[in-house]
Amino acid sequence: MLLFGVYAVMERSILRSAIGLALASAALAAMLYAMSARLASVFELSVCSGLVTVIFIAGISLSHSPKMEVKKEYHDKERNRFLPLLLIAVGVVLVAAALILNYAEPQIAAAAQENVRQVLWNTRQADLWGQIALILCGGVAVAVLFREERRDKK
Amino acid sequence: MNFVTILLIIGILMIVAGCWCLLRTYHILKITIGIEVSMKAVTMFLVLAGMVCGEVSLSETFVITVMVAEVIVAVVGTGTAVGLFRKYGSMDVRNLNRLKG
Repeated sequence: MLLFGVYAVMERSILRSAIGLALASAALAAMLYAMSARLASVFELSVCSGLVTVIFIAGISLSHSPKMEVKKEYHDKERNRFLPLLLIAVGVVLVAAALILNYAEPQIAAAAQENVRQVLWNTRQADLWGQIALILCGGVAVAVLFREERRDKK
Repeated sequence: MNFVTILLIIGILMIVAGCWCLLRTYHILKITIGIEVSMKAVTMFLVLAGMVCGEVSLSETFVITVMVAEVIVAVVGTGTAVGLFRKYGSMDVRNLNRLKG
């Protein structure tokens, strides 16, 4: 997952970045499945790996920048050269801190026998209203962002 | 080091990579991808917290909410990018400073 995420960040081509992000999502979905979060895994694979990638590719195809423009806009190759070094340095620091400080490592607890559907519909019902509000906000935002194009067509 | 610590370190590294993308790039789609990369780590942290507390079901409901937010961020980011491209012919986020109103 980390490798695909870093690839998505470092790649100059936006299309390849979107594909890297989709692969990172797929790797996360596999990880969630292994961590026995089955429903979250299915959502991650279908929504984040599928839908978000389609949204990005649609955005890329709607705005086809000439190659020179892309090169001028961001010199990713030069800018991202130090990212692997930074990640290695941060990783070494974190591992050293974990080993030297000898902190109490969190342990995996025994899973409670609760059903996800019951928790979602009974305990966290307010979250669903929040999700509905978010989706409505997204719909309104897209409608506002594309309104100008309709005026131009008229 | 156990499994939880290794995953914590991987998540922190992913957040660092996403923040690097936010800081170093001016392309609006690339910035959205950076946010998405960071949110993958947050999703993993939520499930990890659920495993540590023994409440995986509860953490899964939070993950679903985060995913909805993630999709909305992607949609709004892409819509803004397309709008910016149509107005200025470029996806440079610095063009947003030139907007009036």
